[in-house]
Amino acid sequence: MRILEQAGHLPGLPAEAVGRRVVEHRAWGETVGVALPDLREDQAKALCGHVRARARETLRRMETVRIVEAIDRASACLLDRAHPLRRKAEALLPVVTGYDRETVRLGLTSYLKTFRRPQLLRFLAEDFSNPGVLDGFQPAVKGGFVRARGPDLLLHVWAGNVPALPLWSLVSGLLVKAGTIGKLASAEPLTAGWFAHLIAETDPELGECLAVTWWKGGAGGTEATFLAQADCVMAYGGNETLTALRAKVPVTTRFLPHGHRIGFAMIAREALDSRRAGTLARLAAQDIVRYEQQGCYAPQMLFVERGGPVAPDEFARHLAHGLAALASRHPRRRLDPGEAASIAAWRSAHEMRALDGEATLLGDPADPWSVVLLDAATGLSPSGLNRSVAVVAVDALADVPALVAPHRAYLQSAGIAAAPATLFRLAEDLAAVGLTRIAALGRMTAPEAGWHHDGRFSLLDLVTMTEIEASAEAAAEGFAPYAD
Amino acid sequence: MISAGLAVARDGREVAVMSQAEIVEALLDFIGRPSATEAEFEALALRLFAYQFAHNAPYRRFAQQRGRTPLTVRRWRDIPAVPIKAFKDLTLSCCPPDEAERVFMTSGTTGSGRGRSYHPTLAVYDRSMLAGFAARIMRGRQTIRMGILFPDEAALPHSSLAHYLALAKDHFGTEDSAVFVGPGGLALDALLTFLAEAEAAGEPLALLGATYAFVPVMDALAERGRRFALPAGSFLFDTGGFKGQSREIEPDAFYDGLSAAFGVPRSECLNMYGMTELSTQFYDDGNAVCPPVKSGPHWIRSRVVDPLTGQDLPEGETGVLVHHDLAHFNSVSAILTEDAGVIAPGGFRLLGRVEGAASRGCSVAVAEFLAAAQG
Repeated sequence: MRILEQAGHLPGLPAEAVGRRVVEHRAWGETVGVALPDLREDQAKALCGHVRARARETLRRMETVRIVEAIDRASACLLDRAHPLRRKAEALLPVVTGYDRETVRLGLTSYLKTFRRPQLLRFLAEDFSNPGVLDGFQPAVKGGFVRARGPDLLLHVWAGNVPALPLWSLVSGLLVKAGTIGKLASAEPLTAGWFAHLIAETDPELGECLAVTWWKGGAGGTEATFLAQADCVMAYGGNETLTALRAKVPVTTRFLPHGHRIGFAMIAREALDSRRAGTLARLAAQDIVRYEQQGCYAPQMLFVERGGPVAPDEFARHLAHGLAALASRHPRRRLDPGEAASIAAWRSAHEMRALDGEATLLGDPADPWSVVLLDAATGLSPSGLNRSVAVVAVDALADVPALVAPHRAYLQSAGIAAAPATLFRLAEDLAAVGLTRIAALGRMTAPEAGWHHDGRFSLLDLVTMTEIEASAEAAAEGFAPYAD
Repeated sequence: MISAGLAVARDGREVAVMSQAEIVEALLDFIGRPSATEAEFEALALRLFAYQFAHNAPYRRFAQQRGRTPLTVRRWRDIPAVPIKAFKDLTLSCCPPDEAERVFMTSGTTGSGRGRSYHPTLAVYDRSMLAGFAARIMRGRQTIRMGILFPDEAALPHSSLAHYLALAKDHFGTEDSAVFVGPGGLALDALLTFLAEAEAAGEPLALLGATYAFVPVMDALAERGRRFALPAGSFLFDTGGFKGQSREIEPDAFYDGLSAAFGVPRSECLNMYGMTELSTQFYDDGNAVCPPVKSGPHWIRSRVVDPLTGQDLPEGETGVLVHHDLAHFNSVSAILTEDAGVIAPGGFRLLGRVEGAASRGCSVAVAEFLAAAQG
């Protein structure tokens, strides 16, 4: 069966005039063709103009709460398993991304729960002590009044194949009333467009202020137009992609990059008794299996403390068992030759170490997971992804900050299982070397609403503050009709 | 000198371990017999595996880890192939390394460290090279005037390619053959004179060198608006790719460029695919169509495998190339390359390096991480 799905959301452009480029995705014995929008130069300009104008005319005047309602309703539709778009998502995303159906279904639900009304209010409260600044001038603590304005045109350049990941930045932009254009990632080109359609259905005026399109990155064409028109560019990708993109963004445009990251986990000896170790290993396995470690928050290395009743090597075997058990319920994505080669290269590097007794490889190369046990404290390094992970035995978890410190630029999430005192002590040291998020094992791949992605503010980084200083307010009094 | 021995399998089967002298003798004989059968290849491959297993300790541990020993392996395809990265990390040699007559090292352009191949004698390497070159490059002709675009052996004593090209020039080059890469780099003017002489004399000429060495020559010719029309019977020979030494050019554009610059048809642009970790080379029969089918002589076999499991892939599927080179007797005969390939009638098509995939999500992948660490 072959399905053709139109991607994107293009208000103001007649559908029949839009060129399309069809990309085929195959997995699980099915094929989905995705027709990506491929705009001409003049259409790109028109789209930017349309979104900017409508944002200025209507979005600016909307109360934030109205936007919250629209996002809440769109999320509710996608959370409703009977809704046609939710059914479509469950049918098509496994084929497009290659993840198994259960992974997609559970992942969508867990992720979309982040965008309901209470969570959206948390987003706002997290960044603004008084979210009213988004709707009008509010008294400032230092005196005078302040108001926050999002960019007229916010451009998102999305990347990656984790389903629905673009919604995070999409929602953030809408909450600060930014006219929004998103560029789809070829690896997951559907959810953002569906979400935009749902917003447009719920609130047609808001739907006009939001577009989702595609262009071939780095290939010239309309990319330059979009980059030149935007007031702010939020971009996701590897360092090379981001460097190239930044070079093309005008210096007066705000550029907010989110590069690739590496996650890791730490397990303290007090968590390693025979009752807890198995459970922890299962939770860690879930973090590794969910989206095949493609997300920046997934662990690629586990530091396990010696001295507990369960030794690191035993924990590694628990983990291998956990991965093997999950593999039957959530089969691994089919790997392309490059991905298989990455795992093979990672495994063979450890195989060489194993010859000197420094490493132990668990399982067979043909297993859909790989665990390597490293006996000596080893610096942080990436795994081969797609369910490959290194377990590093350390004498004390306090040694870990030094082992990860050299890779400050890539640090983001750590999963920690430790007693409160240890947790806070480690958190201090990890924060000092650049880590920005600590989660429980099993929750690494599900950041909570209002998360400060890469240590930044989801909303605050987008806005510009306008201040009425106390002097102006006081001076104005002098010109009032009621002035004495 | 490594002496002969005997190991006995549990089923009473004897696995003979040959001495180095016996191995060398057997290989020289095998190379000289193009009529050797598949069964003879297999028998020699298994004897070589027993030899390498007995005398090459890291390889023995590697094989044991995979549950492969001379007593369990019955087919050459089951002899475990070592990833070529191992040549950087381990000393893979049956003879004590300091007793090697020559050590060839990789250029070290990819990643850290240089892979090493130890040769207790060059007799087998040389015989292998000369037989392959005569059959596939000289194709019946005795000698040809050669211009070499690569430093000589004195400049690069650890380069297998420098030795290879020296053998080519000494055995198949005419007296007036010359090397055009010296301490000062490419001797462009001397090369152009050399080419012009050949053009004027109507005498066929062969230009041999690293792939990247042809790029500045083509650029210089384009800049000067100069084109050669080398006499019929001339050929060009490139090997090794660009290795970051020149700009990368797509194969079709590269051979179009060569053909236009030197007036040699693409069918006479021959490419050699070799490695420091091998003692035998692969050739194509010209690059009229890219990628051409490459093949080697009867003492080397290639497989295309799934890099993860090492299992053979069905014909037509793209995977990673494994080469089994009997002539690479002192080190390891079976290597898992980092080259992508697909089996084709008469050989295989080489599809470039297997790049580790960049992460498709937002996780950092090894390639990007290493690039940042080195940059």
